[in-house]
Amino acid sequence: MIVPFQHLLILASLLFLLGLMAVLVRRNLIMILIGVEVMLNAAGLVLVGASALWQQLDGQVIVIFLMALTSAEVSISLAMVVYLNRRKKTIDIRAFDELRG
Amino acid sequence: MDSRLLFLLILLPLAGGVVNACVGCRLPRKLVAPLAIGTVLGSFILSLSCWSLAAGSGTQVTLFPWLSSAGLQADIGLLFDPLSASMCLMVTGVASLIHIYAAGYMAHDENPARFFALLNLFVFAMLCIILADNLLLLFLGWEGVGFCSYGLIGFWYEKPENALAGRKAFIVTRIGDLFFTIALLWLFSLFGTVEITAINQRVLELDPGVITPLVLLLLGGACGKSAQMPLMTWLPDAMAGPTPVSALIHAATMVTAGVYLLCRMFPLVSLSATGMAVIACVGAFTALYAASCAVAQREIKRVLAYSTMSQIGYMFLAVGVGSVTAAINHLLVHAFFKALLFMGAGALIHLAGDENDIYKMGGLRKKNPLLFGLFLVGILCLAGAPFSGGFFSKDAILLAAFSRGDGLAACLWGVGVFTAGLTSFYSFRLLYLVFFGEYRGEHAGHKLSPLLIWTLPPLALLGLFGGLLNLPHLYGGHEMLSHWLGSPSTTEPPFVTEIGLLVLMSLFFIAGWLPAHLLYRNFTGEKDAPWRRFLLQGWRFDALYEQLILRPYRFIAQFCWIAGDRGLIDGVVEGIGRTMLHWGGYIRLLATGQISFYLQGFAWGLLLMLGWLLLKAAV
Repeated sequence: MIVPFQHLLILASLLFLLGLMAVLVRRNLIMILIGVEVMLNAAGLVLVGASALWQQLDGQVIVIFLMALTSAEVSISLAMVVYLNRRKKTIDIRAFDELRG
Repeated sequence: MDSRLLFLLILLPLAGGVVNACVGCRLPRKLVAPLAIGTVLGSFILSLSCWSLAAGSGTQVTLFPWLSSAGLQADIGLLFDPLSASMCLMVTGVASLIHIYAAGYMAHDENPARFFALLNLFVFAMLCIILADNLLLLFLGWEGVGFCSYGLIGFWYEKPENALAGRKAFIVTRIGDLFFTIALLWLFSLFGTVEITAINQRVLELDPGVITPLVLLLLGGACGKSAQMPLMTWLPDAMAGPTPVSALIHAATMVTAGVYLLCRMFPLVSLSATGMAVIACVGAFTALYAASCAVAQREIKRVLAYSTMSQIGYMFLAVGVGSVTAAINHLLVHAFFKALLFMGAGALIHLAGDENDIYKMGGLRKKNPLLFGLFLVGILCLAGAPFSGGFFSKDAILLAAFSRGDGLAACLWGVGVFTAGLTSFYSFRLLYLVFFGEYRGEHAGHKLSPLLIWTLPPLALLGLFGGLLNLPHLYGGHEMLSHWLGSPSTTEPPFVTEIGLLVLMSLFFIAGWLPAHLLYRNFTGEKDAPWRRFLLQGWRFDALYEQLILRPYRFIAQFCWIAGDRGLIDGVVEGIGRTMLHWGGYIRLLATGQISFYLQGFAWGLLLMLGWLLLKAAV
């Protein structure tokens, strides 16, 4: 393996943190979804790296599943974004606080 | 004759009551009363045809085991012996007549189904008391009659005072029931059985120290049901109910249940000399008390209520001096003539245009001579006119008290004789006020339904000739009832005593009649006097209980409500609630509704966990 596993882990953590920051900080719903995607991909990256390290295919198989799952998730969440946009004419996350105590 | 047929005796009225209670409102009006009458009449015919089963020590039948656990064995079982058979025949007979009478009396009421359902259920419960072979079933009937009495006294519950009278009757009798319950449980723990015959057979095993409290507890129960001192205040108020109810429940049957209970448990009761003395005292003094109250009453039914109380006092006296036969004899005869008087009173109230006050009656003899004749028979029996039914039965009680021979019994005999004079006085006062002189009422009377008149003659005959039931040897009788109940008198009282008592009682009868004749024959009005008011209010016992029991009770209740319930319980519970609400207000701030805020929490948590893991790995 050319790339050391540590580097891969560092990259994956960075990606995860970036995604997390996007989720936590951004106000735009679509940007938050993108953040979620980034976090998922960071996890996928670790799986692929680990699969290569231990020479086992399971990790890669899971990544394939992950992609399918992600695409499904994105399509649903985008549909919901469209729906929410239609309801409040905005996709600012701060507008959706009906669950406030 | 199949002895299991006996169960039909109690099941018929139950079925009638249940049918009327469930679907009575939907039945055609014409069917409700005949259904009720039919079931009770059926019971009457059955008890007549089962009469032979009662001979000797009677018949005991069990339908099915009712309760059976941990040594307690109570069956739905009946005991049809001479005592219960004679009671049963009386109750079903009188109840049949009163049901028929009620069909006429309640013809225009809005709720005949409720009335007849309760009346039928009452007969069922009463027969349960009479026929039960164990104390638990007896207790079921005991409470059943209490409930039906409550429902029927407050039958016209739209008027608050009627509902109040029902409640008072229920609560006061409940005080007595409590004593009875304790006695029942105590007997069970002593004998391990609640069967009446078994208990009566094994009473001699008891420690003598236990018997007296047991007898006193039973007496307490009997006092509540039979309106004896000190639990007698409910009976005059119970007259708020419809008149057939007063006739059936508060004159002929339920109020005598206490006497019946004491007679049923007589083998136990008779073992305690103290208990017997207390019973006799309670009886004699209630008789005197009630008779004195009856002297000043103005409402026709209240006069009769006090007279009932007084006559039941005589029955208690009879039990107390050890003569079950005299008690039962008086019970039966009294049931006949008192039902007659009450039913007559109901007819009179109709005749006077729903007027209860005897000061506003008068001259009714001309309006309905037949009713006068029937009522006169009842009054003669009540007053103990020589050779009427009431004369013989009362005489037997006083004779039993007299021949007892100890000082206490002699005193009570004196009280009894004096009360007999009073009884004669107030009976004739009632008669003169209602039937003689000029009519003083303002209302025009209603026409009487024939049912209200023609149900009376059988009772009048029974009352008048009730003395034949237990005619003493002196008059050539054979003391049938004594032999039937299996307790024929062993020693004949001296001839002189008997004749002397006869003359004395006749004298007292006349001594009571004469002043009534002089005072009330041409009644124009009576001055209000303090003693009259005192007697009118029943020696102010109600006020006494108000001061002694109700006021402290209300004070405690108020205290418990304000300090206990509102202060302590509500304070603690609501305090906890308020504290939680207060702190919850702070926690509420955390729920902002912003997803990113929650996710931040996740992130910080994750960081914390990772940091901790790192720290652990480092160490």
